Amino acid sequence: MTAIFTIQSAFLSLLGIFLAGAAGSLILRKNDSWANGWSSFCAVTGSLVGAIFGIATMISGNNLSFGMASPLFPLLSISFYVDTLSAFFIAVISIIALFCSLYGFGYVKHFYKKYSIGALGFFYHLFIAGMILVVSASNGLFFLIVWEIMSVASYFLVVYDRNDENNVKAGFLYLIMTHIGTAFITFAFFLLYKFTGSFDFEAIKAGSGALPVAIKNAVFVLAMIGFGTKAGIVPFHIWLPSAHPAAPSHVSGLMSGVMIKTGVYMMIRLFMDMLQPIPTWWGLTVLVIGAVSSLLGVLYALSEHDIKKLLAYHSIENIGIILLGLGSALTFSSIGMPVIATIALAASLFHTLNHATFKSLLFLSAGSVINKTHTRNMEEYGGLIKFMPLTALFFLVGSMAISALPPFNGFFSEWLTFQSLFQGIASADVIVKWFFVLGAGSLAFTGGLALACFVKVFGITFLARPRSDEVFHAKESSFSLIAGMGALAVLSLIFGVFSGYLITFLEKAATGMGFLKNATTITSAASGHGALSVGNGFASVSAPALFVFLLVALVVSVIVFRFVINRHQKVKVGMTWDCGTNLRPRMEITATGFARSIILIFKGVLKPSIQQEITYDDAKSRYLPKSHVIIMGIHDVYYSYLYQPIIKVVTVLSSWATKIQNGNINVYVLYVLIALILALISAL
Amino acid sequence: MTILIWILQLLFVPALSPLCVGIIRKIKAKFQNRVGAGIFQPYRDLWKLLHKDEVVSKDASWISICAPFIVFAVTLIVGASVPLLASFLNNPYTGDLLIVIYTLAIGTFFLALTGMDPGGAFGGFGSSREMTLSALAEGGFIFSLLTMAIISGSTNLFSISQFGGVAQYQHLLPVLLAFGGFFIVLLGETKRFPFDNPSTHLELTMVHEAMLLELSGKRLALMEWAASNKLLIFIALGANLFFPFGIAGSATLGAMGISLMAFIVKMLIFCLAIAVIESSIAKFRFFRLPDLLITSFILNVVAISLIRL
Amino acid sequence: MIDFVPSYFLLTILFLSIVFCHLSKKNAGAIVCYAVQSVVIVCMLFKSFLSSHEVSLLIIALLMFIVKVGVGPVFLMKLIKKHALTFSVSTYLSTPLLLMIIAVLTGIAHSQLLAPITSLIPGNEALLSLSLASMLLSLFLIINRKGALSQLIGILFLENSIVAFATFGGLEQSLMLQIGIIFDVLVWIIIATVFVSMIYKHFGTLNVTSMKNLKD
Repeated sequence: MTAIFTIQSAFLSLLGIFLAGAAGSLILRKNDSWANGWSSFCAVTGSLVGAIFGIATMISGNNLSFGMASPLFPLLSISFYVDTLSAFFIAVISIIALFCSLYGFGYVKHFYKKYSIGALGFFYHLFIAGMILVVSASNGLFFLIVWEIMSVASYFLVVYDRNDENNVKAGFLYLIMTHIGTAFITFAFFLLYKFTGSFDFEAIKAGSGALPVAIKNAVFVLAMIGFGTKAGIVPFHIWLPSAHPAAPSHVSGLMSGVMIKTGVYMMIRLFMDMLQPIPTWWGLTVLVIGAVSSLLGVLYALSEHDIKKLLAYHSIENIGIILLGLGSALTFSSIGMPVIATIALAASLFHTLNHATFKSLLFLSAGSVINKTHTRNMEEYGGLIKFMPLTALFFLVGSMAISALPPFNGFFSEWLTFQSLFQGIASADVIVKWFFVLGAGSLAFTGGLALACFVKVFGITFLARPRSDEVFHAKESSFSLIAGMGALAVLSLIFGVFSGYLITFLEKAATGMGFLKNATTITSAASGHGALSVGNGFASVSAPALFVFLLVALVVSVIVFRFVINRHQKVKVGMTWDCGTNLRPRMEITATGFARSIILIFKGVLKPSIQQEITYDDAKSRYLPKSHVIIMGIHDVYYSYLYQPIIKVVTVLSSWATKIQNGNINVYVLYVLIALILALISAL
Repeated sequence: MTILIWILQLLFVPALSPLCVGIIRKIKAKFQNRVGAGIFQPYRDLWKLLHKDEVVSKDASWISICAPFIVFAVTLIVGASVPLLASFLNNPYTGDLLIVIYTLAIGTFFLALTGMDPGGAFGGFGSSREMTLSALAEGGFIFSLLTMAIISGSTNLFSISQFGGVAQYQHLLPVLLAFGGFFIVLLGETKRFPFDNPSTHLELTMVHEAMLLELSGKRLALMEWAASNKLLIFIALGANLFFPFGIAGSATLGAMGISLMAFIVKMLIFCLAIAVIESSIAKFRFFRLPDLLITSFILNVVAISLIRL
Repeated sequence: MIDFVPSYFLLTILFLSIVFCHLSKKNAGAIVCYAVQSVVIVCMLFKSFLSSHEVSLLIIALLMFIVKVGVGPVFLMKLIKKHALTFSVSTYLSTPLLLMIIAVLTGIAHSQLLAPITSLIPGNEALLSLSLASMLLSLFLIINRKGALSQLIGILFLENSIVAFATFGGLEQSLMLQIGIIFDVLVWIIIATVFVSMIYKHFGTLNVTSMKNLKD
């Protein structure tokens, strides 16, 4: 029965729905609500079909492979290959797109009459279709084409709200960075083509054994930089904190939740599938990159008080965690432990799914808040839990999930990642062991710092008294927004509680590739209690049991303390202790203040700066200050040490090059003549 | 019989933890040449609080109303997941070291939110400091338990306590170093000296107490009880993972009796150690504490490097 | 197929007309040269027709006659009268230097370096090298002259040279080529007229070197 959903026509109809959505939005662009309705309808339907297709393919385990050679360009063949890994990613993309589109239906209403909704729908559908094509393409040139489609469509979505100049600048930075990444990827594919003679992934996989070592390493470095730029690893992450906040919220959720994962997908495809067998230092490099990215991501997030920028930095942190899992998998596969490699890869994939879920949930809730308060600055929030209770609840669920608190899904994927790192510490040789110690240490600190950061975010945004007047005008969001967020929150809980059953899917996804096909797995939904267990008794945890115990303990405590002991207790409502003065919002802690301790502790990395400007009433005696301005900042090390020198060199070279451009037509034609003669002479 | 032991395990931590706190206070009083309150005074304090009326802040939300129950329930669950009296109990569901650490983190999360909820001037500071210390202590906490896990070959706490801790002489040095790291984390997570003064009255020096300033009545009782539960849990971890002498290996009455005696003795030794530290050194300045926590982390890393399997 | 001597004769006329253009000062002269060249090309095509009897070639030749010999020069003459461009503006190089460079370019075209092209059809080497030389000279005309009109004419000369090359290179049978060339020339002339008027209106001059607005 599932077979019917996995055939070629299912896949093509999936693409067809999104293309119909794109075309329809453009046709209906004159009427805002029709365009919005058609676009959301197509997106929701397409996502449902995609989710069913992905899950069915994973259940059945069939690989779908088809293509058509293009007569015009012999090297480009439009070929697709959907194995369980691709199907997993398609399912993730579809599920997240489903709820983001549901949310978007209500959210987009505040863009009516300002911008073209038809254009939004067009680029949105193109974006999702592009992502699905990226994870299923099987030819290098075709992959580059759909990669470009995805990037360019997302660029237009980022600059959609073009009245704000910052958004336009952010989009420009994003465009440049993504094309730099694409250049590296293109170069890597060309190297592979030169040495294996084909752009097709199958052919490259077959010929990878014959690649010279230096070329393989070069391909690794180029692919790491190229796909890492899309994924957002440090130091190629500078576009993420500007671009994700600039886009409309449902698009931010999609970009942060799934687009950056396409970079991870290609890393898995290239390193674990196509280029096997690989040297150990590749896995260790990925592990180090993951460790550094996760720590730096969370530290920069702590220093932010623009809520969406903060969430973008957390995406960088979670990509670091995913890469920790991937790096372990690569290392284990290269030192001959395929079983543990499967676990590590499954951990990485599980965290991909979980992060997509809770990050899009957080972005959608943040979007609701921004929508109602018209500011992204956290320092102006406060007390929103009373005005937007449901949004607050969903944001709380997202915060608990991202901080890896049981029983939500973030904990279980981090548990699996930890376990694979622990296996590495326990069993590997000396050098590899120390890398795993570094990885485990960074994951431990990242978890703690993320918890601190989300206490800050949730507390400042939703608790205590409002810090600005805008908050008093906030109301709860409309139904479609609540539905989108609520569904994602419920999914976070479900993925967490039923992680024991999910792990079988993930192992199917992980072992779908040829290399790990024969590895028997040692995680299991053991003993019927839905437990996750690793390594024949090294570790086990049961998510449903934990959830049940927590609920039972909670219910028992409530019953005992509320209803049994002293049931005649009176509860009065009073004012917060105000030390005798008037209660003002200024008395509460600020986001900057909350995180300042941690920033000062890590000042070697973050390089905080503080500038003060005091004007006095009387400049001579300087006794009574009239105004005192304090500016606290974080030094952007990447810009000054990495990008600034590169920009300087490029500018200098460009200004030399302008000398040949003197505006005289005759000189240009002289260039043409000389070039023609030289070309003729040299070619013959 | 096993069921009885499980029920005993569940009730053990909440029942005994105020006694632990009382003993520490009594020893400190003796050091200060006072008679001090009785060792059962914390029980009377809890009773008093539970029977008082409450005042809830106007600015507080349902977080303040629900959080005390959540924090207390969390300590109950963790109490059932650590080896207290018996190491033969099989808890593959929640006995993992990471579960214990992150479930306690749920408690920290809601405690910090309770501090920020009423919007008082001191609660926010308390939450900020609590989260800073807790973030840095996590590394040391995970790694100290990890050292024991690697030595024992399992991350299940009951299995680690079965393994024998210090009794395995070939691993003596790593276990001792890991215990050193763990003890620092114990002091840090339970907010004892040199991290925080649990009996301070100055709001500006508070970490844990500042977050509870706006609570009263039952909810304050639950939070205080949860804090002492946490202390007992950490003592239990330190005692039974690193020095599991006398822990019951089988479900016989005799073994359980010996185990209970052994645990009381170990608890007393820990309380004495904590009280001595509290009476002899001063509380550290806040920005010296991260160094201490990183030291704990490094001790554990060194311990891991010294393991020879 | 193509008789050597008459073809060579026609080609020499083409070549010399380009050289004449280099040296002349009057625009009207350039246009006359263009008309002469076009006649030459038409004659070549007509000769091909005579030898191969394809009607399409005749039609093309007639079309070319109308456009290149009739319409084109008339347009350009009108242009000159309208803007009073009787005299061509100055050139970059002085006449002796110019003649030397012409000689060099012709030498390159005839040399061994470009032998593979010119030996495309073994019997027509001299013809092909002369056509190639015409092409290079037309390009050089564009470089050397400062007036916009001269540059347009230079491109038209280039067209003619390419047609000549194609004819002797054995490609004249390709219908597409011929139609493409005709269409190209037609469009060129129309655009040229329009653009020259626009350039003149905007910049106030047709002297290219003073149109510095393009420079950064």
